[in-house]
Amino acid sequence: MGILENKARARLFYKYLSKVYDQVNPFIWNEDMRADALSLLDFEEDMTVLDVGCGTGFATEGLLEHVEEVYALDQSEHQLEQAYAKFGKHAPPVHFHRGDAERLPFATDTFDVVWSSGSIEYWPNPILALREFRRVLKPGGQVLVVGPNYPDNVVAQHLADSIMLFYDEYEADEMFKRAGFEDVKHAFMGPSYDPDVAITTIGRAPQ
Amino acid sequence: MKESLLDILRCPLDKHELELEDATYDESADGDSDDSNGEDAAEVVDGTLVCAECGERYPVEDGIPNLLPPDMREESPA
Repeated sequence: MGILENKARARLFYKYLSKVYDQVNPFIWNEDMRADALSLLDFEEDMTVLDVGCGTGFATEGLLEHVEEVYALDQSEHQLEQAYAKFGKHAPPVHFHRGDAERLPFATDTFDVVWSSGSIEYWPNPILALREFRRVLKPGGQVLVVGPNYPDNVVAQHLADSIMLFYDEYEADEMFKRAGFEDVKHAFMGPSYDPDVAITTIGRAPQ
Repeated sequence: MKESLLDILRCPLDKHELELEDATYDESADGDSDDSNGEDAAEVVDGTLVCAECGERYPVEDGIPNLLPPDMREESPA
């Protein structure tokens, strides 16, 4: 159990992290990686897309290059403030919500795409969240989750285990299949100096 | 939030429909889109979303629906 798996602590952590997040973030999750991840999905302009754990809106910005509007959800008001500054607080183009990834406030069969990047490592029970993703996806809808790949280095592994959830391809496969997704595939992404820091998983809700 | 969002919003606890109470609207926010036919484009600034089943209440604050479950909502907005 990592220390950030407690939601109150995660909120406090983010309250401070949000102040520097977009400066820190490009080193681990940058525009090239975002473009690589986006290229794994099939988009049409009028698709209904949900960004879970949108944070400061870095992925939301990329999604808006492919679709006209995005539904975005985050638990942290402090992170959201940064996103409001980028897109305005009111739709279009972004419908903002505060909410919990494990208990989504949306109707069943609503979205064509559910996207989440840099958020899964903070969910206490990733399977619950993934099952919620499947519930709100339309049949055949696409899911994409970017998370931290489990590091090779033993010291980094120890740090990873003590702080938050990291997972490898095998674990990702297990999680997504247990949550009921089909056509589950994985891709590794990262900057040139560390090309597999992120693991991106895609899948589809059953037809 | 757009009032039309009510079509897809649900109680995070039991997934039942939400009803909007005590709504105030932004009269100026509407406007430039040509498909704005009243209700659909109406921008809700403040109000309360109430679960039709369990009665749990979720605030809309400055246009943002706060659909955090009650156990995650204790944080003061500062």
